[in-house]
Amino acid sequence: MTAYILRRILYLIPTFFGATFLAFLIIQLAPGDYLTQLELDPKVTPETIARLRAQFGLDRPIYEQYLLWMDNLLHLNLGYSFAYQAPVLEVIWPRVVNSMVIVIPSTILLYLVAIPIGVYGAVRQYSLGDRILSFLAYIGLSIPSFFLALIAIYILLQIKFRTGTLIFPVSGMTSSGFEQLPPLRQLLDIAWHAVVPVLVATANDIAGLSRLMRGQMLEVLGQDYIRTARAKGLAERVVLYKHAFRNAVIPFVATLGGLLPSLISGAGFVEVVMAWPGITPFFLDAIANQDLYVIAGFLTVSLVLLMIGNLISDLLLAWVDPRIRYE
Amino acid sequence: MRRALAVLAGLIALAGVASAQTFVWPQKWTVAKPSEVKRGGTLRAAVISDYRTFNPFITAESGNVPSIISGGRGLVTRDPTTGDWIPYMAESFTVSPNKLEITFKIRRGMRWSDGRPITADDWIMTWRIHTDKAVGSNSYDSFFIDGKPITLRKIDDYTIRFTYPKPDATAFAVAAFVPWPAHVFGPVYQREGAEGIKKMWTLNEKPENIVSGGPWLIESYRPGERLVLKRNPAFGEWNKDEAGNPLPYLDRYEIKIVKDTNAQLAEFLAGNIDLMAPATVDHISQIRQAIQQGRLDATIKVNASPVASSQFMVFNWNKASDPFKQSLFRSDKFRRAMSHIVNRQAVIDIVYGGLGTPMYTSVYPVLTQWINPKVPKYEYNPQQAAKLLAELGFTKKDKEGYLVDGKGRRLEFNLATNAGNAQREQMAKLFVDEAKKVGVKVNFTAIDFNTLVGQLLSSGPDRPFDAIIIGLSGGDLDWPFGSNVVPCKGNLHMWNKSGQCIDPRETQLDALYSRGRTELDFKKRVEIGYRMQEIEAQLLPVIYIAGPNYHPAWNNRLGGEHPDAIISAIWGQRELELTFIKK
Repeated sequence: MTAYILRRILYLIPTFFGATFLAFLIIQLAPGDYLTQLELDPKVTPETIARLRAQFGLDRPIYEQYLLWMDNLLHLNLGYSFAYQAPVLEVIWPRVVNSMVIVIPSTILLYLVAIPIGVYGAVRQYSLGDRILSFLAYIGLSIPSFFLALIAIYILLQIKFRTGTLIFPVSGMTSSGFEQLPPLRQLLDIAWHAVVPVLVATANDIAGLSRLMRGQMLEVLGQDYIRTARAKGLAERVVLYKHAFRNAVIPFVATLGGLLPSLISGAGFVEVVMAWPGITPFFLDAIANQDLYVIAGFLTVSLVLLMIGNLISDLLLAWVDPRIRYE
Repeated sequence: MRRALAVLAGLIALAGVASAQTFVWPQKWTVAKPSEVKRGGTLRAAVISDYRTFNPFITAESGNVPSIISGGRGLVTRDPTTGDWIPYMAESFTVSPNKLEITFKIRRGMRWSDGRPITADDWIMTWRIHTDKAVGSNSYDSFFIDGKPITLRKIDDYTIRFTYPKPDATAFAVAAFVPWPAHVFGPVYQREGAEGIKKMWTLNEKPENIVSGGPWLIESYRPGERLVLKRNPAFGEWNKDEAGNPLPYLDRYEIKIVKDTNAQLAEFLAGNIDLMAPATVDHISQIRQAIQQGRLDATIKVNASPVASSQFMVFNWNKASDPFKQSLFRSDKFRRAMSHIVNRQAVIDIVYGGLGTPMYTSVYPVLTQWINPKVPKYEYNPQQAAKLLAELGFTKKDKEGYLVDGKGRRLEFNLATNAGNAQREQMAKLFVDEAKKVGVKVNFTAIDFNTLVGQLLSSGPDRPFDAIIIGLSGGDLDWPFGSNVVPCKGNLHMWNKSGQCIDPRETQLDALYSRGRTELDFKKRVEIGYRMQEIEAQLLPVIYIAGPNYHPAWNNRLGGEHPDAIISAIWGQRELELTFIKK
C-alpha cells in the first residue's frame, strides 16, 4: 500500500508540469492580452502601451514567461495580478472563502437530500412518490442555475411588493451596516444572506445526483446476491442498507476526491446573479481581462487540489470496495 | 513699492484669518435650498465591477476608489451649469500673456484627513509620481503634449505654476488633476522609488491609513461586496453651501458591488439602493411600472440625454492585396452610399428599443455646444445609395441580384464586429439586410474582441479586414476630437494606418486638429470644430450609426439632484456633496 501511494505521488510530478504548461499555453493562445482593451482608449499613446507591456513582461516569448512563472510557483508565489497589481493569492483567497460559505453547506445538503431521494426512488420504483420526484428532477435538470436564481429573485421581490418585507435578501452576502454588528449577529446576517444562494446552488445538483443514485441502486438491487440475501430471509432493511446501499454508493466514493477542487471553484453563476462575492464572478472578470497570472494561478491551485483529491478518492475506494487489493 | 506693501498687508491679513478660505457650492447646482436640507443618513448605490486598488497612481478602471474619495476635483473644476472651468482648490489663477503658463494661488486652510495642510508640495509630488514611467500611471500621457512634458513649479507653499510646451485647449483639464498627500507618498517614493509606490494602498491597506483631501474617507471595504465611505470632516471646513453649512450633508456613502444588472434592478426595485441608470427598455419599463403601481417611490428621467459614446462602421483603406476593394473603400462616394444604407432609425428602434440617438459626426450628440447643425447628414436613403453606386459603375445586377461593375466584379465585402456584443451584432445584421436590398453583398462575421482590435490597429499597406463595426467612448468638452484618432499618424486613425495622409482632406483635418488644440478661445475653438465636422461629413472616414441614451433614476428619499436642464450623461444626476436624505 505504501509503495502504491509513493508511486502515485511520483506520477503527480510530470502530470503537474504537463498540465500547467498546457494551461499556460492555452491561455496565451487566446488573441490579444491584458492591455488590448486599453488600446482602444483615445487618450493612451502606443508608447505607453508598449511600456506597460514590457513592465508586465508580456513582450517576452511564451516559454520565458512560463519559466519565470514556474520559478515563482516553486517559491509558492502564484504570480501577480495585472488588474489588482497585487499577488494573486492575496486577491483570490478572500473570494474562495466567500464561495465556501455557499459551497460547503450546499454540498452537505446535496448528499443529505439527493441520496435518500435516489434510494427512495429505487426502492419504490414507479410509485406515485417516485414519479413526482422524477418529474421534479427533470425540471431541476433542465433549468440552469442562473435562471433559477433569477426566478428566486423574482419571487422574493413579489413577496416584498405584496407584504412589504424581504424575507430573504435579493443579493449580496451582508447587510449594510454589517461592520457595526456584534460578531454573532454578523454570523447570522451572512447565514440569512446565504439561504437562497445555497438552495439555488443545491437544487440543480440534487436532480442529477439523485437520478444517479437511483440508477446505481436499481442496478445493485437487480443483482443475484440481493436475491440470495432476500431468499435467505434477511430483513428488508438489512438487505437494502447493508448489502445494496454499500455497493451502490461505491461510485460516489470515487467522486469524493473531485469535491476538493470544487470547494474552491465556487458556486457558479448563482454567485454572479445574486451578487455573492465569490470566486466565480472574480474569475470571469479575470478571463475577460486576460489577467494572465490570476487565471494560471487559480488553475494551478485547482489542479493541485484535483490531484490530491483523486489520490484520496483512490485510497477511499480501496477501503470501501473489497474487490480492490494492492500488492 | 506701494503695491507690494498692499499685497504684503493682504497676505498678513489672510494669515490672520483663522478659518479656511471656503469654496461655496453654488445654489444653482441643485434643486434644493440649504434651508430644506437635512444632515446625516446613508446614500446607497451599486456598481457593476469590483474595485481593484486604493492606490491613486496605479488605478486604471473608471469610477475607482481614489476618484470617489477625492471627489475627482483639483485646482479647477467645471461648473455644470456653464461648462466653464472655475477655481476650486485654487483660489484664483492667472494665465500668462503668451498662454504658456498658468499660475494658481492655492486656497489656504485646506487640510488632509490626517490634519496636515494641503500645499503646493502635494501637487508637485503627485505630478512627479504620475510622470514616472516605472510607476505605470494611467494619467501619464495627460502630462504630455505631442510628447513634450508639461512642467510644474512650486513658487511658494501656496502658489504653483504650470508651464506648457505650447498653448493647449486642454490646459485646465490637465491642471484639474487630483493631488495626493506628499507626506504619505513622498518618503516612500524617495526611499524605494516606483516599486515602493506600487506596493502602497492596496485593497489590504487598513482604511484608517488612507488619507483623503476630498469629501469621503474609507470606513470599510469587503472585496467584491461593499465599499463603505464616511464623511471627511476636514472637507467640510472649506466646502460649504450658500448658507455656510459644511459639506457633504451625508454621513455615509455605501457602494454595493453587484455584477449583474438584473440583480441591481432588483435591489433598486426593492428600495435597497438609491441610484440606478437602467440601460435597457425592459429595465426602464419595470421601474416605471413599479412607480406607477405605487410599489416604489422613485423618479426616472427617460431620455435625459445621449451618452458620450459612439458606434460606427469603418472601412479599411489599406488593402494592397485587393486593389478593387482598396479603391472602393477609399472612395468617398462609396462611403456616402454606405451611410445612406445605414438605417439609423431602425437601429434605434430595434437595438435601443426606441431610446437612442442617431449619430452623424465624430462629436458625441451629448456635447451639444460642439455639434455643427449645418453639417450634411447622409441619412437613410436606399435610392440615393443606389444612385451613388451607379455613378461608381455598379449599374447591373448578377443572377443572385447583387450589383456588378462593367468588368463583372461584384460589390461585396466582409463586415466584422466583436462576438458577444449583441447590440453591435444586431446593427451589423440590420446593415446586411439593408445592403442586400440595394444589391450590396455584405458577409458578416462576429469575431473575438481582441482579434478584432488586432486587425483594426494593424498598420502598413495591407491590413487584414474590409469593414468593422466598433465604438469609442469618453468625451471631452474642451476639445472633442481624439488625439489618437484625427492625426494621420494616430494610433486610432483606424481607416488609414499607412502612417501618412492619403486624402487631402485628411491633411486638412490633421492641420485643423493641431490648430484647434492650441486655440484657447472657446468660441474660436468651436468654430474650428465646426469646420472639422464639415470636412468629416465630406470625407466620411467613419460612418457613425447611433448611440444609446442616459436614463437616470433615483429613490425619492434622496434630495439635491441637479436641475433638469443639466441632468445629462456628462454631468450626471447630482453632486454627491449636495445630496441629502429627505426621510
